[in-house]
Amino acid sequence: MNKKAIQWLYDELPRLVKNGVLTPDAEERLKAHYGPVEKARPARLAVIIFGIFGALLIGAGIILMLAHNWENMSRPVRTVLSFLPLVLAQCMMVWTLFRCPKSVAWRESSGAMLFLMIGASISLVAQTYNISGDLPRFVLTWSLLGLPIVYLLDAVVPALLYLWGITGWACYLRGEESFNGGYWLLAFLILPQLALWLRSGRYKVQPTLLLWALCVSVTIAAGVTIERVLPGLWIVLYMGLFALMFLSGEFWFRDAEGFWSRPLRHFGAAGVLVLSFIFTFDWPWKEIGWHHWHWDHPANLWWRGIPDAVLGGVVPIAAIVLLVMTIKRKTPLGILFGLAPVIAVIGYSIARPYGKFYSPAAVLFDGYLLVIGLWLLATGIRFNKQGQMNVGLMALTALIIARFFDSDLDFLLRGLVFIALGIAFLVTNIMILRRKRGET
Amino acid sequence: MSKRNLIVLALCVVVIAQLAVPASLIIKHEMTLQKGEVFLFKTRPVDPVDAFRGRYVWLGLEPASVKVPDVQEWTYKQKVFAVLGRDTNGVAVVQRLEHAKPEGEPSVQVRVGWHNNSANEVSISWPGLDRYYMTEKKAPAAESAYRNRSTRENQTCFVKIRVLNGHAVIEDLLIEGQSISDWLKNQ
Repeated sequence: MNKKAIQWLYDELPRLVKNGVLTPDAEERLKAHYGPVEKARPARLAVIIFGIFGALLIGAGIILMLAHNWENMSRPVRTVLSFLPLVLAQCMMVWTLFRCPKSVAWRESSGAMLFLMIGASISLVAQTYNISGDLPRFVLTWSLLGLPIVYLLDAVVPALLYLWGITGWACYLRGEESFNGGYWLLAFLILPQLALWLRSGRYKVQPTLLLWALCVSVTIAAGVTIERVLPGLWIVLYMGLFALMFLSGEFWFRDAEGFWSRPLRHFGAAGVLVLSFIFTFDWPWKEIGWHHWHWDHPANLWWRGIPDAVLGGVVPIAAIVLLVMTIKRKTPLGILFGLAPVIAVIGYSIARPYGKFYSPAAVLFDGYLLVIGLWLLATGIRFNKQGQMNVGLMALTALIIARFFDSDLDFLLRGLVFIALGIAFLVTNIMILRRKRGET
Repeated sequence: MSKRNLIVLALCVVVIAQLAVPASLIIKHEMTLQKGEVFLFKTRPVDPVDAFRGRYVWLGLEPASVKVPDVQEWTYKQKVFAVLGRDTNGVAVVQRLEHAKPEGEPSVQVRVGWHNNSANEVSISWPGLDRYYMTEKKAPAAESAYRNRSTRENQTCFVKIRVLNGHAVIEDLLIEGQSISDWLKNQ
């Protein structure tokens, strides 16, 4: 049950008893039924947030100061200096572990500090000896040395920094056209900690933050780790990935409250909607499929096709398995979003038969986005979910505007349709607001 | 083993690993600087637009290409070893390219670039030897000094590099026979 709702009920109880609506006995029984509500302690939260920001700022400041290049310092002095911030940060971690292991503020800030100081230390050595070049290797070493901090301190900020590091590493390697499939193994290394956090409380801040970061990281990594030997594979892969996120959110995080505490569901839904919109255009469907296989891939290695086959196969199949489970549960929204990879596969196979001018796949996605938009709009209005209704309206509006600019209709008609859409937005929102006011 | 002991053990391993990486870098580079053979490399101008401003001077070492018997033997982006020698002026030259580190001869790892089939040449780049760090105030002045003295007409800029067991470390940037920091002081 919603914590805010229970809190509201508890605040109302004294008045209800006073006015004779409830007996004191009923009040006690209600309280026993719902249990105590743990109030958020803003002061403690502020200490944690400022602690983390303080550590990150100090860490970044030290890195910048070292980057100044103190040329008057001799090599031995520089050597000592390269270790000093690292050793101090390590001492901070040891102190935290043995003196205040329960303090979230200390754990998070000392973890963040140590993570940054590992990078600072290696950078200063690199500067002293004019070591250059291999940026991906540096970022990878840094991230791997920082990973154990996550487990030792049970802290989420180093986990976020680790994800940032390995994502950057994968992107750098893509720039060099080197193999970067190792990202998935590296990302896997953070999952045991995620599992521990999920077990201790699925909706706590730590797993939620990590899930948001994972969604972003995996989305970027999917794009940079596929080798692009088979043009257009990204269409199936990304639709599978976003549907998988959405369905996982629906399956295992259904009871979460609020927008931010449902990263998988909301990130996945946004991904499906944005991609579906993009796929209503003709350009993503150009020159894709087996006929355009990249034999002239720069690396020219046959095994580079394997990660593509695994990624492009496993992710959509996993999404489709979850879709089958969703169908059994009979949740319409899950089925609607879960169908995205199936439609992407169909679209991929009918992308451009016989050199047609306009791809039938784009028309297919026109229909899909229209259905999703209408469904979100209708259910939003029906169940008083203003956010859902607006997302539906936005999907429909985007679709209509895009098709209007594609076609050669005159300005008067276009203007009228825009006005109609604007009115639809206003009217539906006012309607829902009135209904909500009526309920309260 | 109790949980506390396990944490202490893990902590020790992590702390040592975190210290070991910079320490090993220092030891490796110090060894080369102390015991490595000195080579003076000619430099070539680098594209001023491409050069990072401020904190370091972007170096381009000569030679940028090497004659080989068969260009097809070398592939793009391949890491190979350049066997070093000296010309009559004592300036470093690349004698030949090898796929594996040659024993008993000074060599540096380089990366193969584009082929020039007609001239039987492959271009090479010198990864890890393209930066010389300086303070943010001095780096722009050093960079322009470097650029003006790395042309065909004015070739008085050299990079002093030490090489030991295939590992190379930049020791100094020399302009008109002086260390760049001394040269800048005298200007």
